[in-house]
Amino acid sequence: MAWVLKFFVSSVGRKLLMAGTGLCFVLFLTTHLAGNLLLYRGGDVFNAYAARLHSLGPLLTIFELGLLALALVHVVFGLWLFYENDRARPVKYAVKKSGGGQTWGSATMPYTGVLMLAFVIYHLIRFHFVDKTNIPIYEIVKAAFQNSFEVALYVAAMGVVALHVSHGFWSAFQTLGAHHTKYTPIIKAAGLIFSMVVGIGFGFIPIYMRLL
Amino acid sequence: MELEAKIPKGPLPEKWDRHRFELKLVNPANKRKFDIIVVGTGLAGGSASAALAELGYNVKTFCIQDSPRRAHSIAAQGGINAAKNYTNEGDSIWRLFYDTVKGGDFRAREANVYRLAQISNAIIDHCTAQGVPFAREYGGLLANRSFGGAQVARTFYARGQTGQQLLLGAYSAMMRQVAAGRVRMFPRREMLDLVVVDGRARGIVVRSLLTGEMETHLGHAVVLATGGYGNVYFLSTNAMSSNVTAAFRCYKRGAFFANPCFTQIHPTCIPVHGTYQSKLTLMSESLRNDGRVWVPLQAGDRRRPGDIPESERDYYLERRYPSFGNLVPRDVASRAAKAMCDAGKGVGETGLAVYLDFKDAIARDGRAVIEKKYGNLFQMYEKITGEDPYETPMMIYPAVHYTMGGLWVDYNLMSTVDGLFVLGEANFSDHGANRLGASALMQGLADGYFIIPYTIGGYLATASLESLSETHPAVQEAKAASVQRIHALLSVNGRRTVDDFHRELGRIMWDYCGMSRNNSGLEKARERIRILRGEFWENVKVPEGNETLNQSLERAGRVADFLEFAELMIIDALARQESCGGHFNEAYQTPDNEALRDDAQFCHVAAWEYQGDDREPAFHKEPLVFENVALAQRSYK
Amino acid sequence: MKKSISLTLKVWRQAGSTEKGSFETYAVKDISTDMSFLEMLDVLNEDLTREGKPPIAFDHDCREGICGMCGAVVNGRPHGPEKGTTLCQLHMRHFSDNDELVIEPWRSRAFPVVKDLVVDRSPLERIIIAGGYISVNTGSAPEANSLPVPQEAAEKAMDAAACIGCGACVAACPNGSAMLFTSAKISHLALLPQGRPEAARRAIGMVQEMDRLGFGNCSNITECQVECPKEVSISNIARLNREFMKAWLAADEK
Repeated sequence: MAWVLKFFVSSVGRKLLMAGTGLCFVLFLTTHLAGNLLLYRGGDVFNAYAARLHSLGPLLTIFELGLLALALVHVVFGLWLFYENDRARPVKYAVKKSGGGQTWGSATMPYTGVLMLAFVIYHLIRFHFVDKTNIPIYEIVKAAFQNSFEVALYVAAMGVVALHVSHGFWSAFQTLGAHHTKYTPIIKAAGLIFSMVVGIGFGFIPIYMRLL
Repeated sequence: MELEAKIPKGPLPEKWDRHRFELKLVNPANKRKFDIIVVGTGLAGGSASAALAELGYNVKTFCIQDSPRRAHSIAAQGGINAAKNYTNEGDSIWRLFYDTVKGGDFRAREANVYRLAQISNAIIDHCTAQGVPFAREYGGLLANRSFGGAQVARTFYARGQTGQQLLLGAYSAMMRQVAAGRVRMFPRREMLDLVVVDGRARGIVVRSLLTGEMETHLGHAVVLATGGYGNVYFLSTNAMSSNVTAAFRCYKRGAFFANPCFTQIHPTCIPVHGTYQSKLTLMSESLRNDGRVWVPLQAGDRRRPGDIPESERDYYLERRYPSFGNLVPRDVASRAAKAMCDAGKGVGETGLAVYLDFKDAIARDGRAVIEKKYGNLFQMYEKITGEDPYETPMMIYPAVHYTMGGLWVDYNLMSTVDGLFVLGEANFSDHGANRLGASALMQGLADGYFIIPYTIGGYLATASLESLSETHPAVQEAKAASVQRIHALLSVNGRRTVDDFHRELGRIMWDYCGMSRNNSGLEKARERIRILRGEFWENVKVPEGNETLNQSLERAGRVADFLEFAELMIIDALARQESCGGHFNEAYQTPDNEALRDDAQFCHVAAWEYQGDDREPAFHKEPLVFENVALAQRSYK
Repeated sequence: MKKSISLTLKVWRQAGSTEKGSFETYAVKDISTDMSFLEMLDVLNEDLTREGKPPIAFDHDCREGICGMCGAVVNGRPHGPEKGTTLCQLHMRHFSDNDELVIEPWRSRAFPVVKDLVVDRSPLERIIIAGGYISVNTGSAPEANSLPVPQEAAEKAMDAAACIGCGACVAACPNGSAMLFTSAKISHLALLPQGRPEAARRAIGMVQEMDRLGFGNCSNITECQVECPKEVSISNIARLNREFMKAWLAADEK
């Protein structure tokens, strides 16, 4: 079994883990967004959806623990890579100019990643580990987004997510070895579209809730 | 001293087979007891290191660059010849042999050239197996193109980077042996002397270019593969670090220098554009397959090329050589270009250029086809000149490119110092007085992969070599001499820079010992070189010290040797009172200005023996015997 | 176009690997726009030598863009601002009069500075030694045409094999990764049928060696392919990833 370990501590192995977990989060974001869009259909529909989700019981717990594991891997390995990459150039350039390869997304991956981590913790405290026994979730969300500061924070956070995903999406495919003159442009376009859908899809919800 | 070429007896096609059988073998278990020193990691040195290590010898390999992958073989563009006859045009080993002997103006050894042609096919096989990405046809089989001086397409190529790919093949084979522990690699080392003990080459003195430390390395044989001496001209297509020092030091230790005046001036280079220029860039000769060479019919016509109508252009190669046209051998094409410029028909700012025009080829095949064949060359041209060769014709002019002369070797590639083997461009080679295109790569790899592995065994199996320690007086003397020389260079502390001397030497050589030569010019050049050499040792300025990376000091040592070596070239040129191949003495030409050989008197290799700094070198002659080809006036009409 | 220009150069000077370095400023005048960048440095070095100052050490050899020996970061760009160009093939016509150029060596933990602009790139060689070859002994090769190679595969292999080992990819990568270099060799050999027998061993060996040498990790920022003087594509990095996965998951290699 030593080979498994060796595989996953190699540079390529670690990146594969980043790619694999990253793509899982893409799937998670997709379902999360699909669920959240029900907010537009009012409290009853959304609360029913939440109730339905919670009725899954242990299945949901397993799912949540899975997400936690994925997050741990993504964060720990991401930080490890970031640390190594920083160490790989002890003396920095006096002048550093991009030749045009990097994008805002790719240049900021570790930073957007850390911001997202902070946001996710805040988000979980705000809406997940909150006492929902008396107040339905829809009301909690609605109440939260009456605060303009909270709206701004969420919108900004969704911008960060979009930026992270704009590079992460195609980068994951590249790391998994999917590069082809025919498909890579499609994957890149899909990544951009997805990041915009995520950014706008999630980002518009707090604004909508504020305006309600 | 009798020069014994050790050419095997028997009919030409059987000589090499018979010789390999007659060579003594070293028992496989004994090979690891022999240490072999290889200097240089181009095609010859790299392939020799790999092949010898594969056999089990301990190999120590030295190169001047930071990595063996950077040797100047890497810059060869066009291709490598082989007698595969894949194109069904009637090529054969015999034809490749004949073309090479004829192309060399009958100044090469028949037996060596025939062996080269025989080996050529195995080189392609081996390089293909190594993963060299040769160009291929749609069916997946290897593609060929024709190359200057040949009427059959026998040249294998990897875009315009054949030398690079072949070198990386040899390099990777060598790295495999580094991984196996059989090659030890010493980069950033410059060989400054040869250690000769009891008449046998037993080691080398090298200077570490990073620390200045003088090291001695001992072994049972020394393989020299240090390339040519084209940089004696300052401006050449050679890499900046290409130099004659290692070969010249061996000459001073008793290895004869053969035919030093045979230099090749390549016809298709980018013209000189300024005094600050540090080197010239070659454009692959393959361009002549589709490009048409021309100058304006009228001398002094300063119109732009596009404004000169077809009727006022002189496609002089096609006119003078109807059957070979633009594909005449290099020496012929170069001299023709010079003749045009001398007649005032040269183009460009300096008047020292001719056009190489792709207009007709683009009209015939379309831009896409031309781009596929020459795209990277066109791009390179545009980068350097800032002009687009798809739109305006290229301007080209001849430049020093290759040196056929080199250390004299016998059929076993051993010099006149026992145990000193010389491979590739560094030896006086199989190319006679002129090398055909795509033959240098072939020779370098033939020497390294397929000749030295056998012949070195023959030497080691019969030579009785005693063990040798660093404390041996000969080792210490060689080391001390090199240290002393470095000290001498650093202590002149004059006012002129090394490059300044080099540039002046180059100008003298180009003007008087270049594309065409005459006796009075050569005499004049000899005198000027002596004066310049005197000034060098009184007035050169070498900054910094020995114990650091000191690139000026490196160059100073090389230029000091060039200043001595240049005189040897001139002595050789003066001694050869005929014209042949790259050596064109104006006094010996046919009525239509072609080189006129004198086979009665000069059908020989001229080998020079060092006699001391103040004495003329001694002349030795190896007569060339042609039993299989008839000596003829080269004609490409 | 102006035929000659004047420039201010800020050049990294460092006497040795253990010494501290700093930038020195030089004014160079009357630089012909037909000069190459290295010829411009030659002119400066000739002046420095005559003034009795140490000239700037910089690696260079073929000066025609193929040996891979030269390279420096000019105003933040490895090999300067032109696409697909080595420093020796960069001509001064691409600069304007009175430009200020900051010239630095490759910066990487794996490439210690030797002197001024010269760095030690031997780690790239270590990567090749770890498997960048096909194990074929001289003399044992079959007839060259006995194994057809699709033209497309040969062309792609050639695209990858065009790498000159200059290290610009490492210098350009914000992470200091050597993936483009490593992937170029792995791709070159993996694309050819001759290279398949050792593909798994090679992929694992070369990647492990690369990891050991202190390079950073690829995060697909793609600065490398933009700055590569031979325009080697990151499709090779994807191929490396595939080869590496295949090797671990499907082959017996451990």
